[in-house]
Amino acid sequence: MTWHVSEEDLRAYARGELAPPVLWSADTHVTACARCRAVLAEVGDPVALDAAWERLDAKLDAPRPGFFEGLLLRLGVAGHTARLLAATPALRGSWLGAVVAVLMMSVVAAYAGRTTASPTLFLALAPLLPLAGVALSYGPALDPTYEMAVVSPMHGFRLLMIRTVAVIVASLGLDGLATLALPGYGLRALAWLLPALALTTTGLALSARLGPVLAPSVVGGGWALLLVAAHASADGGTLAPFTAAGQGVAAAVAALAAALLFLVRDRFDLFNGSAA
Amino acid sequence: MTPTVSASGLCLRYGGTRALDDVSLRLTQGVTGLLGPNGAGKTTLLRVLATAVPADQGAFTVLGQDPGTARGRQEVRRRLGYLPQTPGFHPDFTAFEFVDYVAILKELTDRGARHREVRRVLDEVDLSDVRGKRIKKLSGGMRQRVALAAALVGDPGFLVLDEPTVGLDPEQRMRFRELIARAGEGRTVLLSTHQTEDVAMLCHRVVVMAAGAVRFDGTPAELTARAAGRVWSSTERDPGAKAGWRTGLGAFRNVGDPPPGADLLEPTLEDGYLLTLDGAGTEVAV
Repeated sequence: MTWHVSEEDLRAYARGELAPPVLWSADTHVTACARCRAVLAEVGDPVALDAAWERLDAKLDAPRPGFFEGLLLRLGVAGHTARLLAATPALRGSWLGAVVAVLMMSVVAAYAGRTTASPTLFLALAPLLPLAGVALSYGPALDPTYEMAVVSPMHGFRLLMIRTVAVIVASLGLDGLATLALPGYGLRALAWLLPALALTTTGLALSARLGPVLAPSVVGGGWALLLVAAHASADGGTLAPFTAAGQGVAAAVAALAAALLFLVRDRFDLFNGSAA
Repeated sequence: MTPTVSASGLCLRYGGTRALDDVSLRLTQGVTGLLGPNGAGKTTLLRVLATAVPADQGAFTVLGQDPGTARGRQEVRRRLGYLPQTPGFHPDFTAFEFVDYVAILKELTDRGARHREVRRVLDEVDLSDVRGKRIKKLSGGMRQRVALAAALVGDPGFLVLDEPTVGLDPEQRMRFRELIARAGEGRTVLLSTHQTEDVAMLCHRVVVMAAGAVRFDGTPAELTARAAGRVWSSTERDPGAKAGWRTGLGAFRNVGDPPPGADLLEPTLEDGYLLTLDGAGTEVAV
C-alpha cells in the first residue's frame, strides 16, 4: 500500500461519521489494508462496535413476516399480536380456502333453487363457519403449542380472545362477501349473523367444561337438529331461526353465552385435555 | 437450602384412575430425576407442578408462590420453563420465529429485548447457526433443542423437562444431556425420564414413582445401594429372581433375593430402580 487512511478519518469511520466520498475511499481501502484494519480496531469504540454487530445480527435474523402477518402489520396490529395470530391454525390459507369453497357452493345452491323466501342452505351453513374456525384455533388437539402456551404467563383466555376475534372477523367477512352475492334476498340474506354469534359464543362457553372438540360438535349438532325441527314445522315458509323472533332469540343466546364465557374465563388458563 | 418446590399430599384422579396418590416432595437447586414406568404419574406430576393442571388435594409452592391462586400461578409461570413430552411446533416457523413466538407468550413484548433473548437462548443450546431454518427441516435432536431453548426464555428459576431424551439417537442424547447439565447450573430442574443413564449422568437426586405414588426419594447412590447384595449372575434364568435378563456375554443378570452361594454382582442404578418398582407392577417382569 502506498497510502493509509489517517487516524482521524479512521476514528470518524468507526463512529459512522465519515461522509462520502472519503467514506467510499476509506471503505475500499480498509477492506484491502491489514494495517488500517488494525488501527481501526484500536481506535474504534468496542461498545459501539458490539452494538453495531447486534443491530446487524438483529437485522439478519429478525423474522420476515409472512403474507398474513404482514397484512396485519399494515393494518396497524401490534407486532407481537400479529405473530400470535400468524400461529392460529384457522387463519391459514387452507382453512380460509375451505370456507370460501363452502360459501360458494351454498351461494350457487341458493341461485339454483330460488323458490323459497330465503336462501336456506346458505343461512344454515354460514353460522357454522365461525364456530368451526374458532374451534380449530385452540386446544390440545389442534394447536401444536397448546401445552407450552397454557403454562405461559399470558392468560389463556386472553390468547383465546385474540384468536377468536381474528377468526370471527375473517369468517364473518367471508360470510358477508357471500351475502353480497345474494342481493335478491335483501336483508333476509343477513339472517345468519346473529345465529353465527350465538353458536360461536355458546361453543366457546361450553368448551370450558366439555373441551374444544366436544363443545362445538354439540353446538353444531344442536343447530342441525333445530333446523330440521324448524323445517318440519315451517310449512314452506321461512325457518323459525331466520324470522324476526328467531333473530331475537339468537341475540339473547349470544348475550347469555358471552356472559357465561366471561364467568368461566379462568378455566381457559388450565390444561384442557387428557393427561398421561 | 430453601426448596424451589415444596409439595405435600398431592392427589389427583382422572375418572377411576388415581393419577397422583399423596405425593410429597421438595426440590432444590440442581437436576432431580423423576423415574417411573409408563402410567406411573410422572407427566401428571410435572403438569401439576408446572401449573397446567390443578391437584384435587394437597398443596405446593414454587419459588415461594402458591399456584392455587390466579396471581400466584401467574408469578410461577413467569419464572417457569416447561418442555412437554411431545413439544409441538408450527411447522412453517423457523427456529428463531418459534422461540420468538414462545417469548411473546412469556410477555416479552418489546421487540428488541425479545430478539436479544431469543438469540441468547438459541446460542445456549448451540443452534445459532440454524436459527433461520424452518423447523420442519431440522433433525429430531435439533427440534428438541429448539424446544429447550423456548423453555429457557426468560431465564427461568424452575425448569420442567418431560422425557426430553426420548427418540434421540445416542449421540444426540449425549449432547442433550450436556445441555441439561448446563441448564441445571444455578437453577432447579425436574427431569422426567425412562432412562436410568440420564439419572446416573445428570442428577444429584432421584425420585421413583409408580402407580401415582412416590416409591423412592434420595440420591442415585442410595438408589443403587438398595440393590447391594441382591444382584447375581447365573447361566440359566433364575425362576426365584424378581427380574432377570440375558446380558451381552450370554449369562443372566438377576435381581431379587439371591440363592445361597450365588455369584453376586456389583449393583447399578437400574438394579436399584427395578427392585424399587417390585410390587408396583408394570416393568419388572423382564
